[in-house]
Amino acid sequence: MIAFLIKRLMHAILVMFVISVLAFAIQDNLGDPVQQMVGQSVPESEREEIRERFGLNDPFLVQYARFAKNAVQGDFGYSYFYREPALEVIARHLPATLELVFAATLIIVLFSVPIGVYSAIKPRSPISRLFMGISIIGISIPVFLTAIVLIQIFAIGVTVTLFPESTGWGAWLNDFFSTEGNMPSFGRGYDLVNVVGNWDTNLATWNGLQHLVLPAVSLASIMLPLFIRLIRAEMMEVLQSEYVKYARAKGISMRRVYFVHALKNTMLPVITVGGVQIGTMVAYTILTETVFQWPGMGLMFLDAINRADIPLIVTYLMIVGVIFVVTNTIVDLIYGLVNPTVKLTGKPA
Amino acid sequence: MTLKKTLLASVIGAVVAGTTLLPMTASAETLRIGYAADPETLDIHEQLSGGMLRFSHLAFDPLVRWTKDFEFEPRLATEWEQVDETTMRMTLREGVTFHSGNELTAEDVVWTIERLKESPDYRAIFEPVASAEAVDDYTVEIVTSEPYPLLLNLATYIFPMDSKFYSGETDEGSDKAEIVKAGNSYASRNVSGTGPFIITDRRQGVRVDFKRFEDYWDTESEGNVTDIVLTPIAENASRVAALLSGGVDFIDAVPPNDLDRVSEADGVNLIEIDGTRIIGFQMNEERVEAFQDARVRQAVDLAINQEAIADRLMRGFANPAGQFSPEGYSGHNPDLTPRYDIERAKELMAEAGYEEGFSVEMIAPNNRYVNDAQIAQAVSNMLAQININVELRTMPLAQYWPEYDTRQSDMAMIGWHADTEDSANFFQYLTFCFDEETGAGQYNYGSYCNEEIDTLVTEADSETDLEKRNEMLREAEAMLYEDTGFIMLHWQNLAYAAADGVEAEPIVNAIDFPYLGDLVINRSDD
Amino acid sequence: MSITNNSSPASASPSRWERLRDSYIWYSFKRDYTAQLCLAVFICMVIAAFASPLLAPTNPYDLSQIDIMASELPPFWIDGADDRYALGTDAQGRDLWSVVLYGTRVSLLIGFGAVILQALLGVTFGLMAGYLGGRVDTILMRLADIQLSFSTLMVAIVVGALVKATMGSAFYSQYAVMMLILIIGLAEWPQYARTVRASVLAEKNKEYVDAARVMGLRSKRIMFRHVLPNTMSPIFVISTVQIANAIISEAALSFLGLGMPETHPSLGSLIKSGFDYIQSGSWWITLIPGAVLVVLVLSINLLGDWLRDVMNPRLYKG
Repeated sequence: MIAFLIKRLMHAILVMFVISVLAFAIQDNLGDPVQQMVGQSVPESEREEIRERFGLNDPFLVQYARFAKNAVQGDFGYSYFYREPALEVIARHLPATLELVFAATLIIVLFSVPIGVYSAIKPRSPISRLFMGISIIGISIPVFLTAIVLIQIFAIGVTVTLFPESTGWGAWLNDFFSTEGNMPSFGRGYDLVNVVGNWDTNLATWNGLQHLVLPAVSLASIMLPLFIRLIRAEMMEVLQSEYVKYARAKGISMRRVYFVHALKNTMLPVITVGGVQIGTMVAYTILTETVFQWPGMGLMFLDAINRADIPLIVTYLMIVGVIFVVTNTIVDLIYGLVNPTVKLTGKPA
Repeated sequence: MTLKKTLLASVIGAVVAGTTLLPMTASAETLRIGYAADPETLDIHEQLSGGMLRFSHLAFDPLVRWTKDFEFEPRLATEWEQVDETTMRMTLREGVTFHSGNELTAEDVVWTIERLKESPDYRAIFEPVASAEAVDDYTVEIVTSEPYPLLLNLATYIFPMDSKFYSGETDEGSDKAEIVKAGNSYASRNVSGTGPFIITDRRQGVRVDFKRFEDYWDTESEGNVTDIVLTPIAENASRVAALLSGGVDFIDAVPPNDLDRVSEADGVNLIEIDGTRIIGFQMNEERVEAFQDARVRQAVDLAINQEAIADRLMRGFANPAGQFSPEGYSGHNPDLTPRYDIERAKELMAEAGYEEGFSVEMIAPNNRYVNDAQIAQAVSNMLAQININVELRTMPLAQYWPEYDTRQSDMAMIGWHADTEDSANFFQYLTFCFDEETGAGQYNYGSYCNEEIDTLVTEADSETDLEKRNEMLREAEAMLYEDTGFIMLHWQNLAYAAADGVEAEPIVNAIDFPYLGDLVINRSDD
Repeated sequence: MSITNNSSPASASPSRWERLRDSYIWYSFKRDYTAQLCLAVFICMVIAAFASPLLAPTNPYDLSQIDIMASELPPFWIDGADDRYALGTDAQGRDLWSVVLYGTRVSLLIGFGAVILQALLGVTFGLMAGYLGGRVDTILMRLADIQLSFSTLMVAIVVGALVKATMGSAFYSQYAVMMLILIIGLAEWPQYARTVRASVLAEKNKEYVDAARVMGLRSKRIMFRHVLPNTMSPIFVISTVQIANAIISEAALSFLGLGMPETHPSLGSLIKSGFDYIQSGSWWITLIPGAVLVVLVLSINLLGDWLRDVMNPRLYKG
């Protein structure tokens, strides 16, 4: 166990080291931050002076050593754009992203378990087939497109005039398919409640929740079909197993067999695969946040790339690296706890 | 000369007034601002930027300032006269006190001008000023080395600082007056100006609090804002969201994609102002021989439909341009309108021997100007009509300027705003024959060179008879139009937005510095 | 399997494929209407995309055909449409039907290209890891683990941003197709490597490999000529899913501005350029390319599903 954690720690350090070296190696090509810090009519000589003072002219190794020394002490440098410590900028954007991921996870869990279980129990029912059909469509729609479609339908609104308006049924159908479209699709809203420090939450007010709905649904849309299919597949396998057959033969109620015995055994692989997937959702937040202008880390990262805000880019990548390693470690730990036969030494995620 | 105002503001304001207002409270005259940036420092000479100038107008006052119509309005200077060709005498307002309690005298003005000449960012602009001298307590004489007609334009940049307050040594032994770029000087942390607002609290990048200065000299101002909370909101989307949700009362730089959203929203008003930033293209004559031919350059201009770009791509958020100077500027020449004539353009190409056309590379930023990448693409499409085949590359700003500086492409997009609000500035930076020594033509990407125009503009810059000078600049614009040294597209508009009751329309201007001291908030109309 | 059978591998592997096709896949395909429909749709789209110069009324790469005054025209079923543009026009005034055809071609090109690269990398590394074992195995699989734990999309975005920054956006947009193939290929090779490695480990200790080794064949030859053919069916199943994934990844990168430039749009960059106009009511600029993308990916995914059911008896059973 200890050996496992140490191994993981080394893993994390390695990832962060590689990221920081990479990011440092390319920084000259990202653009010149000084260009953005001074006015257009400032002559080159003055710019050179600033570059010198910020140490942007030093050799690569000197700059990297300086960065590494500070980074070890938790100082990742100042964001050129925000003029604040990069870590603080990230800390300010982190809660928005985490809330989004949390809400999406909640949606996934709430929907995938019942749907997955149902379609495993009744694989041939029309409803199961419908769910399976929808889920493969879901997999085939990229997350940003889901987001755009949601915006069109629920934020902008759709007016359908496909059916003859003069007939009663036509008007009704037109009305039925048209949407109002006044859901907020933009930012976090104004009714944020401060929880602690710089964590303002969307979860405490009606307005905040409304703003959260569309981004969370579109973020969930990428993982939900995967989870439904995963749970269904695992559940079906469990249902074939000897002990379920035995339990059934023993006369235990079907409900109990499904939801206590079978589901418990289904959840183990789901947790391992699922836990890792939750971590990877951070990647999809870049897309979701861009579409919904959700002021989280993903949007911040994309802006930072465009602004050549090197300290912020490096810090973001390192933080995300840590998030991935941590989620994977937690998943492995849970897996180890639930299923003690798994040895935790050296086993990769 | 007046600026056209696209004014949804007052109209919508009148219609929706009183429907969704915040309740009147004691702090009703608190203005909550969401600007894209907060002042980088408190030392107004440390950095020349829009954010700093806006701050200067809050905590300081200039000698004179621009009105919406580009006239000069007396502020701390009440009168001025040209004593001789190189000397201007200015009379200062009496009874003006600094936030520290010191009284404003001519010495402070002299001290400030001398400090400006030391500032890395302002040094170049104040180059023409040779010296300043206090004649008596309320009279200053400013001497230029050559006759210089733009001294009043410069005076809009002179925000007298409290010389007694900023003199001496700090506890650490450094000079209180020193200017340290992005450093930690005394002046970057302490303020004493004459302006309408005093800083009460400041957390860099988070918020700045202001309170109205009780002894403010301008008692005639109707401004009733007692407190200001300025929050920097860098993300465009968040800034708009903050206004729409009532988190702030006033924002700058409404992004074009959100103009519709803001103008249709209840309880907020969009204020669009015709801007003075010219957007255009430069043709690199060093790399493309064809561009050395004035006929080819004109053909390029003729092939581009400025009206269509302003109308379709910009959705009216720009005014098509045929010259550098927008209306209101000294050199604005009403005869020079955008031209668009494909047939004529083809003829010119044929005459110049380029009927078959040629290929060029074009670069443009994709996050600097409004719709920049789309404009560049539209221009590429239009140039294809005259067989100029454009290979377009767009890139974020951070990569654009380094790329621009190498001058390794054939056409480049640029937007320019004249710091002096004067026509000559455009020529000096964008079309003057490039000279590394003097810095002339620093942004003349294409090495365009027309010495006649340069001479004329240089002469105009030492012509103190303003009528005559304007005539010369108008002539320079006409010559450039004829020679097509720069492809003009349009002047990009500015957009502010304010909550109902915040009567921001009268105090914003094309120069982009809202005069918040004069802002009236009137939320009690229910 | 006997030794003689494996000494002539050239004839052994194709016959195996033929047998497989003859026996089961073809039988199942004949009965599965969804699979037939999907294959038909997919083939139609591929043909339409690669015949786009013939089918498209305008050439979107020919800038002189573009008229900005004709921008944002709606498709034919909406008032205000123009006969010349059946599906309407985008913000620059390009014919949407034409750009979508050309864009589909770009997307397919990148999708296939990236999968070929992934497969080459993944199969090579997977074979090496599985067959050679030891340190090679550890290093390669650790690399794959790290990459997979980061999510392939994240890797693609980061690599894309870094490559674009390093090469300069000029170079990048000029060779955008190549760059995207490279990025997506590099980001997703672990999927193949893991599968191949697992199959190799399963095959490795079988008699025929031992036999080949005893005969003195070099390990490279054994790996590629003997072991690889026996791992083909999982590779084939993965490939369909990976093509769909690669097309989506490309679209995502383009949507973030890290992919194809708008002058040579893929479906993703078309969606991106249209998104700016969705608020002003011109939904077709973004949703029509979006619909095409979904149909394309969906048909590939359904084919992949069917293939997996057919080739993987364990899942088929359910």
